Amino acid sequence: MKNTMKNPAVYWAFVLPSLALYFLFFIYTLLTSVGYGFTDWNALEPARYTGLANFRQAFADSDFWVAVKNNLYFILFSVFLQVPLILFFSLLISGVKRLQGLYKTTVFMPSILSTSIIGILWGFLYHPNDGLFNKVLELFGAEPIMWLGDTKWAMVSILITNAWQWMGFYIVLILAAIISLPKEINEAAAIDGASGFQRAARITVPLIMPIISVVIMLSIAGAMRVVDIVLVMTNGGPAGATEVMASYMVNQGTRYGEYGYAMALSILIFAIALLLTALYQITFARKIERIDY
Amino acid sequence: MKRKLILVISAMLLFSTILAACGGTDKSASSPSSSAPAPSFSASPSPSESEPAKAEKFDISLRHIQVGQAQQFRKAILDEVVKRAEAEVPGANFEYDAVEDSVNRWTKLPAEMAAGNPPKIFDLFGGPGDGQKYAKAGKLLDLTPILDELGIKDKFTDFSTFVIDGKVYGLPIGASSEGLFYNTEIFTQYGINPPKTLEELEAAAETLKKNGITPFAMGSSAAWVPLMMVNTMMARYAGPDIQAGLGNGTRKWNEPEVVAAFAKYEEWVKKGYFTKGELGIDYAGQTDQFITGKAGMLFDGTWRASSFKADGDAIGKALAGKVGYIAFPSVTGGKGDQTAVNYNQNNGYGFSADVNGNELKAIKAFIKNMYTDEFQIRGFKEDGVLPSMKVPADQLTSDDPVISKILEANKAATTVFPHFDSLVVSKVNGEVEKQIQLLIASKATAQQVTDAIQKVSEAELAAAK
Repeated sequence: MKNTMKNPAVYWAFVLPSLALYFLFFIYTLLTSVGYGFTDWNALEPARYTGLANFRQAFADSDFWVAVKNNLYFILFSVFLQVPLILFFSLLISGVKRLQGLYKTTVFMPSILSTSIIGILWGFLYHPNDGLFNKVLELFGAEPIMWLGDTKWAMVSILITNAWQWMGFYIVLILAAIISLPKEINEAAAIDGASGFQRAARITVPLIMPIISVVIMLSIAGAMRVVDIVLVMTNGGPAGATEVMASYMVNQGTRYGEYGYAMALSILIFAIALLLTALYQITFARKIERIDY
Repeated sequence: MKRKLILVISAMLLFSTILAACGGTDKSASSPSSSAPAPSFSASPSPSESEPAKAEKFDISLRHIQVGQAQQFRKAILDEVVKRAEAEVPGANFEYDAVEDSVNRWTKLPAEMAAGNPPKIFDLFGGPGDGQKYAKAGKLLDLTPILDELGIKDKFTDFSTFVIDGKVYGLPIGASSEGLFYNTEIFTQYGINPPKTLEELEAAAETLKKNGITPFAMGSSAAWVPLMMVNTMMARYAGPDIQAGLGNGTRKWNEPEVVAAFAKYEEWVKKGYFTKGELGIDYAGQTDQFITGKAGMLFDGTWRASSFKADGDAIGKALAGKVGYIAFPSVTGGKGDQTAVNYNQNNGYGFSADVNGNELKAIKAFIKNMYTDEFQIRGFKEDGVLPSMKVPADQLTSDDPVISKILEANKAATTVFPHFDSLVVSKVNGEVEKQIQLLIASKATAQQVTDAIQKVSEAELAAAK
């Protein structure tokens, strides 16, 4: 057995299958995208090399930049609204003595549902005439809001739905970190007279900073590649108000047959995502100290 | 010994993984859907199969768009045709693949065409954005020899949007007009007569609005829905030849008459003549608005007529006997024939160029059974689909009040005009869709909208040369 583990061939045997799949579905596709990004290609006829034309078109394409802006809204919404709420709920649930399991399961539920189902369910809630939200507004005599039909509200509506879907997942992550903290630290602070708020703000949150950083990182990555919820709920509408980078790319490809341009967009999206995550890593994530206890 | 064993096992695992991965990609590339196995040539010959009487079984994929209750009558016709075709071609098994219309037209079929794995038989639209584009790329089966063989080539009234270089690549299943359905009960209640001019239509809309009823049911989350009415308004203002002119570039999207049509639409949006929040409502929601009596009028295709039958399954049976239909009213000062009606023969079936002998036989049987006087008349009587083939005129009578009114309205017309989307490339169509939503969202004016469309249209026409 010992000899086997020393044989490099064994390691290769275990690594090769996943490497092969990785090359097939990631490296190969990435390289072909790059190749086609420099062509005019409708996927029906042979591709024609056009140099940087697609990229020039993308930089001048105001619709694409609206989509980039919408992705940034997703990021801002998740980092500045979702993460604080996630933290708040995690702290609440961690403090619960009874039925903690029930709360954990309940908040986690939405993240195991398929996005299509969530999109359709929330579509009912947002329905202009018969939806729950407008019925409630009606009770108070307020004007109904055209949630998904109004360019001002559609983006917010999708952000709320998206937050509802994913918050539970992150709450469970943070909750696990809180629960794994040694109890002694909190108890000692309590004996010294620290209030619940002080303990949360001064002890718990600093101690779980590394996991919060991971949650922020995942939120940014998730916001960059968001597409399914948009396709299901509005398909980028009304009038392009909720278009995100990926939905714009998909539509350019399949809907209009501009595969070359769509490939160029995919490269840009990749670059933007890389840039933003790198930026976050350099500016914030590295500053977070690991605390040993 | 042990070491060797582990090496052998791991090597086996590795190869099986690789083979499994390759197998997966091969299959998805050769068959349209994972559930549809390739024609079963691989079946090992067994004694029973060597008997001459027993035919070889094979599957042939058929993509249709007859999904949901509103399409039930069309689905019944399809079922009947498939049953007959299967009886004619021994061993044939038509495998249904039901996909919603716009998903098929704009997402699934284009992606399959790009990947080279469309179904063998599929719902297809004509025109440079759909059928003609695929035909040019060699993806569609040339039907000319089949039509000659079956002797039905001259039976069709018009399949020009499916023709490239004199060859036919698709067959329209029926024809449709687009016009105004109205709720006769609501009209009577408020003393409104079916409008004959635009002024009367606007007066009717004003009366309805005053009484808390939405004048026009509208669901514009998919932009082709509002564009039906815009298309007809363009013909009223700029003449019934405008669509053809826009298609070949001899007319302009931003010429004053087209702008006037868009401006009128914009005015109606601003006046609140359409369903509130229309950009968030889909096509089904639009029909719902009309059926529930929340809206007094509905601009839609004649295919909607069967929804208002007294039939127990019809989605709008509550409205049975209470629906009227008129052609869009005339516009004072509008160019050209003001009685012209929209008439489309742009939707039907296309067939994959990649078929074997058996599949070709099945396709022939499908065409032979589908494109007959019998089903053209049945489609008309049961479903309000106007015929796309020359059928005896005395057979085209209907007891259905809505369908009779449609026939009446169409008879009064001397000219017909198509829908622009059957004459422009997909990029121009996409731009029109984007711009009409901007117009509805009050983010652009009629002039800005038409200027933007004209710009894209010019670029595409130049690129085509």
